[in-house]
Amino acid sequence: MEQPVQTETWKARSLEELVRILHQIFAEDKVSVEEVQALMESYESNPEEWLQYAKFDQYRYTRNLVDNGNGKFNLMILCWGEGHGSSIHDHTDSHCFMKILQGNLKETLFEWPEKKGNGEMTKKSERVLRENQCAYINDSIGLHRVENISHTEPAVSLHLYSPPFDTCNTFDQRTGHKHKVTMTFYSQFGERTVC
Amino acid sequence: LPAGLSQWFPALEVLDVSGTGLAEMGTELLSLPCLHTLLAKNNRLGGPGSLPKGLGQAPLARSLRVLNLSGNRFSEVPPALLRLRGLRSLSLGGNRLHSIPPDIQELHSLEFLYLGGNFITAIPPELAKLPSLRYLVLCDNKIQSIPPQLAQLHSLRSLSLHNNLLTYLPREILNLVHLEELSLRGNPLVVRFVRDLTYNPPSLQELAGRTVKTRNVPYAPSDLPESLVRYLSLASNCPNPKCGGVYFDSCVRQIKFVDFCGKYRLPLMHYLCSPECSSPFSSASQSSTSQSESDSEDEASVAAHRMQKVLLG
Repeated sequence: MEQPVQTETWKARSLEELVRILHQIFAEDKVSVEEVQALMESYESNPEEWLQYAKFDQYRYTRNLVDNGNGKFNLMILCWGEGHGSSIHDHTDSHCFMKILQGNLKETLFEWPEKKGNGEMTKKSERVLRENQCAYINDSIGLHRVENISHTEPAVSLHLYSPPFDTCNTFDQRTGHKHKVTMTFYSQFGERTVC
Repeated sequence: LPAGLSQWFPALEVLDVSGTGLAEMGTELLSLPCLHTLLAKNNRLGGPGSLPKGLGQAPLARSLRVLNLSGNRFSEVPPALLRLRGLRSLSLGGNRLHSIPPDIQELHSLEFLYLGGNFITAIPPELAKLPSLRYLVLCDNKIQSIPPQLAQLHSLRSLSLHNNLLTYLPREILNLVHLEELSLRGNPLVVRFVRDLTYNPPSLQELAGRTVKTRNVPYAPSDLPESLVRYLSLASNCPNPKCGGVYFDSCVRQIKFVDFCGKYRLPLMHYLCSPECSSPFSSASQSSTSQSESDSEDEASVAAHRMQKVLLG
């Protein structure tokens, strides 16, 4: 495990190593967003290492817990079939890192709607994230929608949320109205969870 | 496909020739009696020889369950494909389809149909004749309307309609009791309440017909000309449960909103028998708050409870 003294530039050579380093980083009081993002990006996706967590569902995207970070973070793998997408959502005051392990995902950023939102939500930007790229978002940056726009390829992404959260708000693009939802795991630690 | 494929691998069950630049699949396929999954995405299929002749008579027609032809160049669904009677899952995503053939109904075992990312402009009502269809993907097309018959897809669990040209949905969509996922984002759905003010007053015939029906005036075929007997049999019930009236040709087409679990407003085509049936709206209120629309939402809210998860924009 590489451990330079001052400028923490990590290189995770495997998924296991990534998790190990994350535990180390999050054991500290202060965690740097740049450090985590660089670490996530440094891991070169190797399907052999994460295939056991990548459980797809025919109808919608799935969330598969990989590690619960001693309560400091949740690391999970999301599997997106062709055409699968999320609603516009926030991140309940947490940090969210999203790294592409396979395929591509389109991320569309939105402004928070006005208090009494009754108009179309404002799109800030959109981009297509490629394999091994890592995006970051939190509530002060805005809201986003993530979707697999491919009609031929499934996509897999690695997400880190800190602190962990299991509820968030979804937003109606046309009106800005929000609705609280509870998120569930399709599988945990490689085992399918029956809800 | 290499010649002799079926001789070397007679027990072949899964064949994946995706991303190989294939332009045609020939007769080698016809002698694979155990083949249940054929993946041929991201190729150059779409021309005349894409699927072999005689497919309908081959063992494949009964054995094939999964066929993935996404990312090819099909501009129409090849008729030979419709002979694959055992097919459960079909993907033609990312091709160049402009329409769906009505004969799609022949694939009566179909459970999964992916047609996203084409140029489809309309959906044939025959699509609704697929009794086992659970997952229907029509996103990223040019669809302008959904036929109300689609509500007959009793097994449908997931319907993907995002990024099309829909301005409204038929109210029958509320009848899809097993629907759990519905994506509608990226459609020019009418947001504000739109009232069709071009209401044509009913004819005397229509008014007489309504009276006969609503007052249960008895009549026998010998009492009336055959054309009127037939006319009376075509009465439709006003969807407003508080009205109980009937209408024939005259109706007010209104775009109404149904609030799904307080989260979203969908415009639906309601056929009402007269503007009076929309009385909550006649009292001038310009805003479309839930109070002013509560009357006509009663019937909808019952159905709305059934549609729990709506994946939307």
